[in-house]
Amino acid sequence: MFSVTPELYATVSLVSRWLFVFIALLLLFFALLWQRAERRERKERFKNLPGAGTIGELLVLSGSDQLPPDTWFPVPREGVLGSLRSCDLVIPCPGVSARHLDFSWQDGTGLLIRPHIGCDVLVDGVPVDRHAASEGVPLLHGSVLQVGTGVLRLQVFAALAPANQAFSPAVQVAAPSQEAAFRIPPQGTAQYPDPVPPVWQASPVPVVPPEMQSPVPPVPVNATPPAPLLQNPEMPPEKPARPKRADRWKEDWSE
Amino acid sequence: MNRKQSSPRFRFAFAALLLSALLFLLPAVRSGDRRLYLLAALVPAFMLLCCTVLARLFSLDRMALTLSLFLCSVGIAAFAPADPDAAVAQALRCIPGMAALLIGAVLMRSLSSSMLSAVSSAFLGLLMLSAKLLVPTFSVPLAEAGLALLLVSVASLLSGRGSGLALIPGFAALILLLTGGEIALAALWGLTFLLLIFAADGRILVILSAFCVTVFLFFGYSRLFPADFKAADTGSLNMLISAGWTGTDILPGELPSAASLFPRLSLHFGLLFAGLTVLLFLPLSLRGIFIATSSRTRFHAVISMGVSLLPALQALAALLSVFGFLPFPGVCFPFLTSSLPDLCAELFMIGMLCGISARNEADLAEDAHLAMLAK
Repeated sequence: MFSVTPELYATVSLVSRWLFVFIALLLLFFALLWQRAERRERKERFKNLPGAGTIGELLVLSGSDQLPPDTWFPVPREGVLGSLRSCDLVIPCPGVSARHLDFSWQDGTGLLIRPHIGCDVLVDGVPVDRHAASEGVPLLHGSVLQVGTGVLRLQVFAALAPANQAFSPAVQVAAPSQEAAFRIPPQGTAQYPDPVPPVWQASPVPVVPPEMQSPVPPVPVNATPPAPLLQNPEMPPEKPARPKRADRWKEDWSE
Repeated sequence: MNRKQSSPRFRFAFAALLLSALLFLLPAVRSGDRRLYLLAALVPAFMLLCCTVLARLFSLDRMALTLSLFLCSVGIAAFAPADPDAAVAQALRCIPGMAALLIGAVLMRSLSSSMLSAVSSAFLGLLMLSAKLLVPTFSVPLAEAGLALLLVSVASLLSGRGSGLALIPGFAALILLLTGGEIALAALWGLTFLLLIFAADGRILVILSAFCVTVFLFFGYSRLFPADFKAADTGSLNMLISAGWTGTDILPGELPSAASLFPRLSLHFGLLFAGLTVLLFLPLSLRGIFIATSSRTRFHAVISMGVSLLPALQALAALLSVFGFLPFPGVCFPFLTSSLPDLCAELFMIGMLCGISARNEADLAEDAHLAMLAK
């Protein structure tokens, strides 16, 4: 095959070795550029899909000093709820263990919760028996979860609502922190008419983008009446304030 | 993907293909060997095929794939100037490695966190680690492959069952590695395992107790077998320095480690090129961390974090070992090894990373679809 004389090879070799170094440097530079471009692209995509990776939100109905009512948590598809800083949902309330329960979303079933040993959990006022429900107890749209002194309501995005077909029956809720139980009206009533598009047939909620708004009109809860907004009569009416998003990194290393 | 976004990717791929061809052409021009010309044509062609057709077919992460294939091609090129036969053999070793990568990608797309996957992967991983102890004549190094499987087990347990259960396979692997005399791998695994516990659990009590147990195991081993803890001799470093910044064609003598290709690479292509090649582990690790942060589930996040940590720490340990800073020699750079099981295990781990990346993309596409339905 083709080869060159040793004299010519010495020159070619010297030039090529420096060329290798240059191309390797370029390679490193391009790799970092590529990584940066992909990170930016992902940021753009998440800007358009802020609810990506979550199935809805947990709204705090009553909590503690560190967790005021009307705080909301984006709920990932799976994770751990507890008082520990490293949990996916940090609930800093008395009675909540470091790792209180595991949860995972299952299409067609709901948000399955599995309490840890020695952790009491109430779903819609009913205690969850850990042994009886080894696969997990499903939380549906509007279900109220009580862990320790914290009472939270699950609100599922409208786009995932076909998974909530079992939602239709009315649910009686008797959270200990609430004096009166409330009743969620079934579908087909005047308040919750059946949606027309077939995609949302099973959905109890109006169709809204899944990322920005609560998918349902808030279910009335006696314990947390909405605070009246102060308005100037000459000013146009303001939109109701969005509940504050929980800051999970506020917690300390109290474990 | 628009033109602005795609340009770094194409530039990177073009530079990688060009360099992998030139690395074989230079020794081919000197010796006129037909095999080297063949490698100069086939290696970039294989890379191109993998990064286009296979990446599209299996939805593989192109950056991780291109980087790992380029590092493999550098490993082949390390043999080319002095031993074309060994270069061909190393190229043939990459083919089962690529199969392992595809298996890892397919497996990770379908695997989810469960007790069954945790137990089965822990059993297989511990079996691989204990192969040398069970059969003393068994000489195939399966430790890295075992660690890849144990990573799946630990991730599954850490994500679903808490760190208590995850400590069992983690420390069992550490004890088996130390019993087998694999101190370097034991140190790497111990560090990776502690970092994973820190990332997935976060409880100070658990981290501190795990750290104390790890330190106790290493301390006990160092007291029992003090002769195993010895720094690499500075002779190998002097030999590498003697080759200069740009390298030489003729090897000066006996190479320090048979399995590691880094000394060959430094001697033939110079310290500058070898150093820049080692720096390519940085974007690979960054990519792994990027995939871990994009992961939808804790299981996939822990696996991708482990898969990116293990080669990064290994590369760091190998670099420190070259300079004699570590008390145990014999650490190879990932992908720059002539051991087939190690190469397969490393590419299997990259395959897992690619599979998780594909799953992330699919999840994001599903989110976009749901958002579109809602509008």
